[in-house]
Amino acid sequence: MARGLATNKSRLLLAGLVLGHLVAISKQVDVGDGATLFERSLFAVFSPLQGLISGGVDGVGGTWSSYVSLRGVREENKQLRDRLAVTELLLQQRTHLAHEAQRLRELLQLRGVLPLETLVAEVIARDGVPWFRTVTLNKGSRHGLALNSPVISPNGVVGRVIRLGPEAAVVQLLLDQESGIGVRIERSRVTGVVAGQVDSAGQLTGDLQMKYVPMLADVVEGDLVIASGLDRIYPPGLVVGRVRQVKLGSGVSKEILVAPSARFDRLEEVLVVRTPLPDVTATETVQ
Amino acid sequence: MKVFWTVVALVGALAVQSALSLIVPGWARVFDPFLLVVVYCGLKGGETHGMLAGAAAGWAQDVAFGGRVLGLAGLSKVLVGFGVGRAGTRFQLTEPGARLLVIVLAVLLDALTLRQLAAAFDVTTGALTVPGLALRALVNAGMGLPLFALVERRRWRWSGA
Repeated sequence: MARGLATNKSRLLLAGLVLGHLVAISKQVDVGDGATLFERSLFAVFSPLQGLISGGVDGVGGTWSSYVSLRGVREENKQLRDRLAVTELLLQQRTHLAHEAQRLRELLQLRGVLPLETLVAEVIARDGVPWFRTVTLNKGSRHGLALNSPVISPNGVVGRVIRLGPEAAVVQLLLDQESGIGVRIERSRVTGVVAGQVDSAGQLTGDLQMKYVPMLADVVEGDLVIASGLDRIYPPGLVVGRVRQVKLGSGVSKEILVAPSARFDRLEEVLVVRTPLPDVTATETVQ
Repeated sequence: MKVFWTVVALVGALAVQSALSLIVPGWARVFDPFLLVVVYCGLKGGETHGMLAGAAAGWAQDVAFGGRVLGLAGLSKVLVGFGVGRAGTRFQLTEPGARLLVIVLAVLLDALTLRQLAAAFDVTTGALTVPGLALRALVNAGMGLPLFALVERRRWRWSGA
């Protein structure tokens, strides 16, 4: 009797949990961005812990590195003293060059090659499940980040913010199959959409796939792929990658593989673009 | 007390997976400490404990490492928790061989359920090949069995003392 009651109770609980999850998932699918208060609150709870863990990993790594570097430090010290004399002579020359480089850098900045307001953020966690390709950053809405903020590295586009907490943000990498960025071939101005590429077994390959490129479009291996800005998320002109392979597809589009410029496996610091793209709305006047 | 230790285990799982994702990202995608917590809760606490631990573990994993839509891992782990809990109350699952089988089946159920749910809600996910699934099952079983034994030895010592 008691066992039967317990079984009924657990069945009811199972039904409730399944129903609750289905409602929660469906609600996000309807909303699209999934930026609900519930989601923000949950993320706010978990992200500080990941920040702490990141700090802990860095701390342990630093301690270990210090220990390793102590080994043979006496011998190294002697060698360094010998080299110091030579280095001092070189220092004056290098100082002069550094000043010159600083001046040139300031000149380049004045030209405003990248007229975007950006924020430096640190990667505090990477993808922990095989299903999605994401990284977590240590900056959130409190620092001015917003959903869909583009994330770039010095090498190229990294992805966009898909989940936001006050102190952290989850970035969907371009490698993710669910990602998408409007792109253009810099040489021929051919446009398309780039997303994570999977092989025949459904595994993410680490390459990107450029889709919706007509069969007769002018695309060759080695072409530079840049953001087109047509997706209203990524500013135009940012480097995405280079065409690695062009094949004739079975349908009406070419099959194009793009090697991403960003080094996703070595991401430590990234830039989050805070400048929103100007809102473009098509208007039509009937006279 | 059961709730307290479950929360501690889940926080530990989050810490382990976050640290692994920074140190060895490849292995972080294979080893699933959240799943091991759910399996253990199901084995020791039955269906209810397994399901509630599954919901908590899945949501934690979704929020910290999931994609655009939250709740997919939550629901798949609820089902894993229910399945393991039900099996745990009906069969003698204390031997390492039986537990190995439970973990392997839990890994398969978790992966297949999540993939099907993602497809149903139009969420594209990275796929796992048969060798990938086998590796995931082996790694989690290889880590889970000694961990379960360790936890039980501690529990036995504390209850003995």
